[in-house]
Amino acid sequence: MRLRVTKRQEPLGWGACLVFFGALAFSLGVSAALLALQGKPAFIGIRLLFEGAFGSRWAIEDCLLKAVPIFLCALGVAVAFRLQIWNLGAEGQFALGAIGASWAALTFPALPGGYLLPLMFLAAALAGGLWGLVPAVLKLGLRVNEIIVTLMLNYIGILILEYKVYGAWKDPGSFGFPMTREFPAAAIVGNIGATRLNWGLLVCLGCGAAIALFLGRTRLGYELKASGENIRAARYARLPYGRLVLLVMALSGALAGWAGCLEASGSLHRLQPTIMAGYGYTAIVVAWLARLNPLNIGIAALLLAGLRVGVENLQLDLQVPAAFGQIMEGLILLTVLAGNFFKDYRLRWRAPDDA
Amino acid sequence: MTPELTIALLAAAVQSGTPILYATLGEIFTERAGVLNLGVEGIMLIGALAGFIVAKTTGVPVYGLLAGGLCGALLAAVHGLVCLVFQGNQVVSGLALTILGTGLSSFWGTAFIGQRTVGFEKLPLPLLSEIPVLGDIFFQHDPLIYLSYLLAPLMWAFLRYTRWGLGLRAVGESPAAAAAAGLRVLAYRWAGVLVGGVLMGFGGAYLSLAYTHLWTNGLSAGRGWIAVALVIFTFWRPGRAILGAYLFGGVMAFQLRLQAMGTTLPSSLLLMLPYSLTIAVLVFSSWRGRGSEAPAALGVNIEPRE
Amino acid sequence: MRRWLPILLIIALMTAGTLPAAEKELKVGFVYVSPIGDAGWSYAHDLGRQHIAALPGVQTAYVEAVPEGADAERVILNMARKNFDIIFATSFGYMDPMLKVAKQFPKTVFMHCSGFKLHQNMGNYFGRMYQARYLSGMVAGAMTQKKILGYVAAFPIPEVIRGINAFTLGAQAVAPDVQVRVVWTKTWYDPATEKEAAKSLLDVGADVIAQHQDSPGPQEAAQEAGAYAIGYNSDMTAFAPKAHLVAPVWNWGPYYEQIVNEVRDGSWKSRSDWYGMEKGIVALSPMTDLVPRAVQDMVLAKKAEILAGTAAVFEGPVSDQTGTLRIAAGESASDEALLGMNWFVQGVVGTTE
Repeated sequence: MRLRVTKRQEPLGWGACLVFFGALAFSLGVSAALLALQGKPAFIGIRLLFEGAFGSRWAIEDCLLKAVPIFLCALGVAVAFRLQIWNLGAEGQFALGAIGASWAALTFPALPGGYLLPLMFLAAALAGGLWGLVPAVLKLGLRVNEIIVTLMLNYIGILILEYKVYGAWKDPGSFGFPMTREFPAAAIVGNIGATRLNWGLLVCLGCGAAIALFLGRTRLGYELKASGENIRAARYARLPYGRLVLLVMALSGALAGWAGCLEASGSLHRLQPTIMAGYGYTAIVVAWLARLNPLNIGIAALLLAGLRVGVENLQLDLQVPAAFGQIMEGLILLTVLAGNFFKDYRLRWRAPDDA
Repeated sequence: MTPELTIALLAAAVQSGTPILYATLGEIFTERAGVLNLGVEGIMLIGALAGFIVAKTTGVPVYGLLAGGLCGALLAAVHGLVCLVFQGNQVVSGLALTILGTGLSSFWGTAFIGQRTVGFEKLPLPLLSEIPVLGDIFFQHDPLIYLSYLLAPLMWAFLRYTRWGLGLRAVGESPAAAAAAGLRVLAYRWAGVLVGGVLMGFGGAYLSLAYTHLWTNGLSAGRGWIAVALVIFTFWRPGRAILGAYLFGGVMAFQLRLQAMGTTLPSSLLLMLPYSLTIAVLVFSSWRGRGSEAPAALGVNIEPRE
Repeated sequence: MRRWLPILLIIALMTAGTLPAAEKELKVGFVYVSPIGDAGWSYAHDLGRQHIAALPGVQTAYVEAVPEGADAERVILNMARKNFDIIFATSFGYMDPMLKVAKQFPKTVFMHCSGFKLHQNMGNYFGRMYQARYLSGMVAGAMTQKKILGYVAAFPIPEVIRGINAFTLGAQAVAPDVQVRVVWTKTWYDPATEKEAAKSLLDVGADVIAQHQDSPGPQEAAQEAGAYAIGYNSDMTAFAPKAHLVAPVWNWGPYYEQIVNEVRDGSWKSRSDWYGMEKGIVALSPMTDLVPRAVQDMVLAKKAEILAGTAAVFEGPVSDQTGTLRIAAGESASDEALLGMNWFVQGVVGTTE
């Protein structure tokens, strides 16, 4: 008697959901065990995690606020992943977007909001898009692997941000600390009513819907999906692979750039190095977990934003190190990856001579 | 740049490049077997932490080194499990491993920041260290660096001349053909992942046991990613790994010395050097058409047999 | 007699039950910008927290590695909502978020470190670390033979620049032709980079290494090269017994205790506190035996002068790297000028960017 692995005729449909929640539960279990190992009460810890993330109106507001940049970056990354392009550079594209938006806000402070905000978004999209195009061009022209290029551009992008903020853009009133002047009121994306949420939420909804439409209903979107599934066949069918690569990376970069713009404008109201909070990397996790589907990306972004917010609660009440959230992110991704196995294959006990 | 300063810089390049060398050799070994492991950064950190804790508790640096290698292999085994058994996508799994490794090392390591361990000290080799110029650059270091001098040619010989080395390469080039020839493909891939993990763990342990005798969260500071890039630069050949690693070690050491000499260039720009160089090196490698030297089956999972 | 016993017991129990209620339990929260394990800035604040946690009736909690901006605002807001009585935020960038929250919670006391904004329930505080740096500079100036001092520095912000200037002035007071070379690591705690930075300074001829870094990496490098080293934040003798001379250190405990007491008895008022060595917030660790007796006496004498107020660190004439006079002869730099210091004194080789 031994374990046999057989491929399913059709991958489990609803099973994907089951796999996801199973993986989540497993990760929570392992994380709880880690807490216990450190001598912290595990169940209370997990409860605090949920409370901190979703337990009150403020907590949910915080989650939504955090989910905005994660969602936009993840949307961009997902679009690239569709074409099997490993865009790991959301972090750097985010930084460039923030730089672009700040450039607009600081160079044209007198422009009224009706002109300044769109200009900022345009600048952010151009800057982020450009940063996304560099690895695309290198990939198409010289077959350079985009994984490394996008990763290196992350580091370089952040250094460019620091260079501007420590140098020419430094606020004279900041006592030498690296930050720009506060943006003029016209450059700030306002809050929705009396909540602490800003209109970036609307941008997310808009982009999500637009991408969903693009992928599902347009011809280019169809070509993207087809090319992603089988590049050789797509080329044979004369699909414009090269152009798709450029489009996808520019779009990816622009979306991450908008995330940066929103953070600088809506959250911080200025540019400073601490705008970099690792959203770009979390976005990669989100894009993968969500199976590249805009609605799922929204849910996953909210979940992972909740994780970040909840972990703070853990820190405050139980003095758990800040890295706990990272562990959970890594675990969730690994378990989902492993769990997907069961979507495509099934295990059966078989006698050795059974066919 | 005076001659003394240049020699000092080259010696610093060797030291600074050694953790990258270990990690690069590990990744070469893994990729030659056809498995892409992007979790180098996370594995290096776990190796560094494990090495630090064990050396500190036992007082014996060698135990620390071995512990670093062991823990590196353990974390790499997770990647092996997810990809080789559960058919997970290798790119994403590696990334998840980096996140997990970084998180775990920070989680457990926070308690050890600000503490010191015993480690490997400088050991000038008799006779060899007295050679003018070369002696200063290569033979006045700690034992782990000397070990790395041997490791690269050893790996080269292994891959080129031994039966197992050839088997490993065959598995990486064409698993189907290798299986048809009777090779146990899965076993070779596991070996690639685990041995690679050990070497990456060594690279991390080097940082906390020899380069410094300290630990901090994020000690490797991106060296793992540079190692992944270097594998492409070296065309998957261990011999060139030495050149690449020392080049990068040199750049990292160089920008600091430039500041010490009194440059007016802003440090943010200088810090970009290692990363820009990585991209330049990749472009150069691809331009020379050698990007296609990768093992043909790199990154491709093998479906389990019925 | 027996009839009275139960009544006496009950009275005794009642009084025993009410006694502790006289001390109000204070909840004090701390927000740190980096992990406390960095053995540096946040670590020093956390030592202060542990000091007051040991006081009766004081409960403390902290959140570490909180990025400045929206995250900081949320953390401070959560602490305020959880009815913390005092909240300490230990980084410049927390200033605006803290002010926002302070306006919403008038009953809570907000204390901001290294900033300048005030509110009816928000005060700020800092320490004159440059005083201790000056003294450590004197030690370096006395011990150097090659007249080149190396400074491994983290980020080009005013307090670091101020520290480098004070260090240089102190060294120049002992050895006027001394040169201080600066290398920026752009990291607060990265032993590998900081050690490499120290090595690069040693390679250009420095024989005393000082640091505004939180790791002992530079100390290790100095010892390996047979040079001397000045530490920071804590006595680093254990890491480099053959090289370590002295270290400027923070000591927040007594200040935090003072604030706790003020809040408790209702005498706390919003203000800007910039205390120095006289209040013990900033100190010089004991000089090791590597420093000759004569030098130790000289430094301690200067320390006494600073404590007494008869000597100031930033006294003119002081010129910057280009030769322009920044502090006139006979004048002392104002607090405002010190807080925004973004230029190096003459004798420093390096950029402020």
